[in-house]
Amino acid sequence: MCPPLARREPRGHDLLTLGGNAVIVASGLTKRYGDRVAVDDVSFTVRPGRVTGFLGPNGAGKSTTMRMVIGLDRPTAGTVTVDGARYADSPAPLRAVGALLEARALHPGRTARAHLRWLAASNGIPAARVEEVLGLVGLEAVAGQRVGRFSLGMGQRLGIAAALLGDPPVVVLDEPVNGLDPEGIRWVRSLARDLAAEGRTVLVSSHLMAEMALTADHLVVVGRGRVLADCATADFIAQHAASFVRVRTPRPGALADLLRRSGAQVTRDGDELRVQGADTVAVGELAAGAGLVLHELGLVRSSLEDAFMTLTAGSVEYAARPAEVTR
Amino acid sequence: MTAVTPTAPRHAVPATPAGTGLGRAGHAEWLKLWSVRSTGWSVAAMVALGAGLTTLVCALVARDLAAGETGEPVGAFITWGLLFAQVTAVVLGALTVTAEYGTGMIRATLAATPRRGTVLAAKALVLSGTLFVAGVVTAVLGWLGGNAFLSAEGIGLSLGDDGVLRALFGSGLYMAGLGLLAMAAGLLLRSTAAAVSVVLALVFLVGNLVMLLPGALGEWLTKLMPGNAGSRIAMPESFNPLLLEPWTGFAVFAAEVAVVLGLAAVAFARRDA
Repeated sequence: MCPPLARREPRGHDLLTLGGNAVIVASGLTKRYGDRVAVDDVSFTVRPGRVTGFLGPNGAGKSTTMRMVIGLDRPTAGTVTVDGARYADSPAPLRAVGALLEARALHPGRTARAHLRWLAASNGIPAARVEEVLGLVGLEAVAGQRVGRFSLGMGQRLGIAAALLGDPPVVVLDEPVNGLDPEGIRWVRSLARDLAAEGRTVLVSSHLMAEMALTADHLVVVGRGRVLADCATADFIAQHAASFVRVRTPRPGALADLLRRSGAQVTRDGDELRVQGADTVAVGELAAGAGLVLHELGLVRSSLEDAFMTLTAGSVEYAARPAEVTR
Repeated sequence: MTAVTPTAPRHAVPATPAGTGLGRAGHAEWLKLWSVRSTGWSVAAMVALGAGLTTLVCALVARDLAAGETGEPVGAFITWGLLFAQVTAVVLGALTVTAEYGTGMIRATLAATPRRGTVLAAKALVLSGTLFVAGVVTAVLGWLGGNAFLSAEGIGLSLGDDGVLRALFGSGLYMAGLGLLAMAAGLLLRSTAAAVSVVLALVFLVGNLVMLLPGALGEWLTKLMPGNAGSRIAMPESFNPLLLEPWTGFAVFAAEVAVVLGLAAVAFARRDA
């Protein structure tokens, strides 16, 4: 079940099922910049072994929340812990949490290899691991180039290499597919899923519902700094993506009566009926029982993007309005 | 580029971290410092400007100095190029932090080393160590070059002469202190242009303008301005008789640097990255 949540505290049973595994637990997390509330009392748990999607429109507070996870921004209120401890208290944080926050957090004059080398040194990671992650993200051929010459996608790959440097049990990726070509997007998708399959805790943010539907097993949906939903991706889709059965028949009136009597809602448009409250099997069997001929029978889903828009409507910070034409 | 999915086994990285927090952070800062071109250029510029100008000015004034016509102390010329070389220490010091704010890399740094005091200490150690060595090398080369001309006129300075050895090492100390001052300004202002301008203005402009103030006020401000107080240690003798004694002046300068660095540390610890 996936009720839209105004507020959700971590519950007792959440903590009981965690075992000794690495998890991210945010509790009452709030961040204010002056009068503006960027993150408003956000609580969620990210579990190991699955990809958790952090979904919301731009300006919803995703990046701020992720920055608070790794201690870059200090919460105004609330706490966030990784495996029960504050990130900043880890003696070698890159081995605990790998984060891709901004792909461009790079000095343009440094080579990709040099960037990873200093990161490795800072956490006592052997330099040999640098070559491993360069190979992992497919940058070994350009490792000696200055990153200022990198494309957005190459920068993103380098950021992911940095996140994987410490072989961390927890991986946090903020908008990892930004700037990637379709092949790169597929790669990030399978990377996130593989990391989760290895038992790691994976949190991936995106403002694209369709992307999350393909990558995430679980969703935390935010808008205007608040958690709007926290549930399995499949449940979210089932609940929020409106779907109906489209059926065409030469005798629409008769079929409509039958369906209404079975409790479904029906709207008619010529010889086409749109049915909600009955699936294709039920509609087909009902028609066959009454000897009605069907010309078409199918399930139509409204897009996930629509579902996401519906849920986050009113929580979008920067909305475009139709331009007014003045003469 | 080919896409590779991760096949690395868990715990591919040895689980026991070696070294202390500051040691590792210092190693990282050292690698950072020397993996960008600006460091090499800054240090090369310091040596070229400092040693080169010292040699040049000694070559030009050696004859007049020997004739005793200038009335100026020979010792004031032997590290003369420092006056210009200090610009590079300011630039390098500021860049150590402002380059990170400018590129957003400060977030990578703080994600890798969340303890900000450790980051600051590591940066300060690596920067001041580098500038100390570069400053001493610059001063020694300038002394070797300039002294060749002075010795030819019979007024050369040996290492055993009063204040010469102190000035050569003092050049390193002053460069290190000035770099730290610029780094602190960089942390407070988070902009290369702003930090470099403020520190250079303080050292070159304000330090000289306060001499125009009348009476004891002008005299004391002149003594206490960081560039004036700190640079005396780098010269065996000074053109300006007003300046504090070398070690007294350096103590004042070090205290000023420490105060600004302290303010920067507080701001750094409190701010979001």
